[in-house]
Amino acid sequence: MNAAARLRGWLGRDINALLLAGALALAAWPFIQGDPYSLRLLTLAGIYALAAIGYQFVFGHAGALSLAQGAFFGLGAYVAGILSAKAGMGFELTFPTAILAAGLLATAVALPVLRLQSHYFALATLGIGQVTLLVAVNWESVTGGANGIAGVAKLNLFGLTVERGWPLMLLVWGLVVLGAVAARRFTGGLTGVRLTLMREQPMAAEAAGIDIRRLRFAAFLLSALFGGAAGALQVHTVRVVSPEVLEFPVMVSLLAIAVIGGRTSIAGAILGAVLLVHLPEWFRPLEKYYLLAYGAALLAMVVAAPWGLIGGLRMARGKWMPEQDPPPPGEIAPSAAPKPSQLEIGGLVRHFGGVRAVDGVDLSIAPGEAIGIVGANGSGKSTLVNLIAGTERPDAGHIRWGGKRIDGLPPVGIARAGMTRTFQSLKLVDGMSALDNAAVGDWRARDIAHTRGEAMHLLTRLGLGDVAWRSCGTLPPGLRRRVEIARALIAGPALLLLDEPAASLTGEERQALASILSAVSRSGVTLVVVEHDLEFLTGFVSRLVCLDAGRVIADGAPEQVRREPAVIAAWLGQAPDEEKENS
Amino acid sequence: MELLQLAINGVTLGAAYALVALGFVLVLNATSAVNFAQGDLVVAGGFLAVALAGLVPLPGILLLPLVMLLMAAIGLAVSALAYWPLRDRPPVSVFISTIALGIIIQNGLNGIFGAEPRAAPALFGAGRLEFAGLMITHQALAILGVAAVLIGGVHRLLGRSQLGRMLRATAQDREIASALGIPVGGMVALTFALAAALAGAAGLLLSNQFFITPTDGTGFIVKAYIAVVIGGWGRIGGALAGAMLVALFEIVVAALFDYAVATGLLYAALLVILFFRPQGLFGEAVGRRA
Repeated sequence: MNAAARLRGWLGRDINALLLAGALALAAWPFIQGDPYSLRLLTLAGIYALAAIGYQFVFGHAGALSLAQGAFFGLGAYVAGILSAKAGMGFELTFPTAILAAGLLATAVALPVLRLQSHYFALATLGIGQVTLLVAVNWESVTGGANGIAGVAKLNLFGLTVERGWPLMLLVWGLVVLGAVAARRFTGGLTGVRLTLMREQPMAAEAAGIDIRRLRFAAFLLSALFGGAAGALQVHTVRVVSPEVLEFPVMVSLLAIAVIGGRTSIAGAILGAVLLVHLPEWFRPLEKYYLLAYGAALLAMVVAAPWGLIGGLRMARGKWMPEQDPPPPGEIAPSAAPKPSQLEIGGLVRHFGGVRAVDGVDLSIAPGEAIGIVGANGSGKSTLVNLIAGTERPDAGHIRWGGKRIDGLPPVGIARAGMTRTFQSLKLVDGMSALDNAAVGDWRARDIAHTRGEAMHLLTRLGLGDVAWRSCGTLPPGLRRRVEIARALIAGPALLLLDEPAASLTGEERQALASILSAVSRSGVTLVVVEHDLEFLTGFVSRLVCLDAGRVIADGAPEQVRREPAVIAAWLGQAPDEEKENS
Repeated sequence: MELLQLAINGVTLGAAYALVALGFVLVLNATSAVNFAQGDLVVAGGFLAVALAGLVPLPGILLLPLVMLLMAAIGLAVSALAYWPLRDRPPVSVFISTIALGIIIQNGLNGIFGAEPRAAPALFGAGRLEFAGLMITHQALAILGVAAVLIGGVHRLLGRSQLGRMLRATAQDREIASALGIPVGGMVALTFALAAALAGAAGLLLSNQFFITPTDGTGFIVKAYIAVVIGGWGRIGGALAGAMLVALFEIVVAALFDYAVATGLLYAALLVILFFRPQGLFGEAVGRRA
C-alpha cells in the first residue's frame, strides 16, 4: 500500500477531493487577505470548529439534543482566563485544566442527566448552562461578576509567547486538525457503527449487547472535553472573559454550525464554523440584525436541508459521480462456538393493568432445540419473547439460563449471556450497508476489519454475499430479515429468539428463510420462534408450544400439537387441514 | 405574615407563568413537539403592548384583546414557518426550528426597541389595597383576575365546545382525528395561535410589574418547560400546578437568599425531581411522551 492510499484508508472511506480542496482554499485565504482582522476571524472560526466537532459527538452521533455545549465552552474559557489573569499560569497549564474542568462538570451531571430521554435531556442540559451562567455572574470574587475579568495573557507556552495573527491562527488550526483526527478515530470504526445503531434503533442496540449508557457517556464526555479546549483557546485569543461566553447565543451558534454544516460530518463542522463566524461580516449592512440572520439561516436549513451542506454535497456527488463499492472483505470464519445452555422458565407472570398477558408459563428448552411458539393474537407470545429478552420485566416467576437467574437483567445483559433476538418489525439502520448492519451485532468486537470479515462469512452463508455493501433500505424485505438474523448471529449466541420472522414475506422468501433457519439450527444454536405460519415452522422446528390467554395449552411434537382439541378450539378455530390451505 | 405576603406575590407570578405553560402544553399535546419560541412570544407580547400603548394611551385591560389578537396571528405564522414543514420529521427538528424562530423574534425586538427594559401600562392603573398588614397592588389583583378568566375560557373552550372537542381529538390521536374528517392542519395552526395569544397576554401582564427586555424569553421558556415537566409531560392541570410551584419556589427562595440562588436551586430541584420521578410529580400523560 502506498502512502497516499494508506492515508486515505486511515482518514476513512468518505474523505474526498472536495474536502481537500476546501482545506487548501482555507490555507490560501490568509495569503489573499493577510490583514490582522481576517486572521483573527479565521482563528475564531477554528475555535468554533473545535467546539462544534465536539458537539457533534453528542448531538450528531449520539443523537441527543444537548444544550450544555455552550456551558462547557464557557467553563473552559473561565477556568483558563482566571488561571491566566489571577495566577499567571501559562497555556501549558491553563489548557489542560480547562479541559479537565469541563470533563469534571460533564461527569458530575452525567448520572442524573444522561438517562433522560429527548426533551427532558434538552431541558436538563439547558439548565446546566443556566446554572453555570448564574454562578459566573454572581461569584464576583472569583469570576469578576457581570464585568468578567480582563487582562488574560497572550497565549504562551512554557514562557514562549504565541503572537496573535499567523502564529496563533496556525496553532488553533493545528489543534483543529488534531481534534478532527481524534474525532474520526472515535467515530470512524466500530464505535461509529454502534453509535449509528444506538441513535437510529436504540432497542436493537441494547438487544445487540451494546452498552448504551457507556456509549452515551463517552459521547457526552468527549463533547465536553472539546468544548473546554475551545473555550481555553477563545479566552487567550480575545483576552477577556465575561458572562457573554456562557449565554445562550454561544450555544445557538454551535447548534447552528452543526445543523448548517452537517450533524456528523467533521468537514461540516469546519465549514459551518467558517461560514457562521464570517456571516456577521457579510451581513455587516444589517448591523445589529445580524443575529437575526443566524436564526433565519438555521431555520431555513432545518426546514429545507436537514442533512446540512456537506450532506447535500455528498448527495450531489453520489448522484453525479457514483462511487464504486469497495470489494467485499475477505471472509473470516467466526471463532466463537456457542456454549449450549438450558433455558428454564417457571411460573412466569406479566400483567399490563388488568390484562394478564403472560399468566403462569412453565417452559423448559434444551440446548440445540428448535421450538415454535404459536397462538392467537393477544395470547402472550410476543410478551413471552420480550420477557426472555429482558425488554419486559416479569411480575412473578423466574427464568434460568444455564442454571443462573436472568429475569430482571436488562437486554444488554441477556445478549451478553448468549441470547440474541430479532424483532417483529425490522429494526435495521436503513442508511447503513448490510455488512455493517450485521457487523454491529458483535458486542465483543474490537477491530472493524476483522468483524466485517466475520460478517461477510455470515452474509455469504445467508445468501447476502452479493449485496454486502448495499444500503439496507434498498433491499427487499426477505433480505432485510436475513440481515437482522445475521446481526443476531454474529456474536455467536447459544440461543436465538425470532419474533414473527416470516411476517410480510412472500411464499418464496418464507421457504428460503425456513431453510436458512434449519441450517442455523443444525449448527447447534437453540431456536425459539414466535410465528403464525405453521407451514413455515414445520420446516425446521421439532416442538410446538401453543399459548392461549397467557398460558401454555399444548406442548409437544408439531403434528401432535396441531391435533389437540384445545389448540384447535383456541387458535386454529378450524381443522388443521383447512388451515393449511388458507395459509 | 411575611410568608403570607410572599404567597400572594408568588400566586400572582404563578398566574402569569400558568398562561405561558398552558400555551406550551397545548402545543405539546397537539404536535408532540416543544415550542421553544413560547418564551420569546411572551416577550413579543410585552413589547407589543409597549408599542401599542405608545400609539394609543389606553389602560392595559383595553390593550389586552388587541395584543392577544395580533399575537394569535403571529402564532399562525410560527406554525406555518417552524412547524408545518417539519410535521413528519422527528420532534427534535421542531425544537431546533423554534429555537431559530426565538432568535429571530429576540433580535428583531432588540433591533426595533433596543436592549433597555420597558414597561407596559398597568391593567387598570396604579394603587394598592392594604388590610391586616398585607399589601396587594391593583395590578396583582388584575393579573389574578385576567389569568383566571383566560384559563377558565380555555377550559370551557376545550371542554364544552365542538371546536374544543376537535382540538382535543387532534391532540389525542392525529391519524384518527384526520380519519374522522377533522381538519387536523387547521386545528394545529389554531393551537399555535391560542398558545401565542396566551403568551402575549402573559407578556402584557408581566411587563408592567417586572419590566421586559428582548432577552427575557429564555427565562420564561425554561420556567414553562420546568412547570410542564414537574406537572407531568402533557398534563394540562399538572402544567398549571407546576407553574404555581415554580413561581412560589422562586419568590420564597429569592426572599430568603436572592434571585440568582432561587434560579440555581430551581434547576437543582428539577434535576432531583427528574432523577427520582422522571414522569414528573403528578405522572406523565400516558402515551404522549415525545
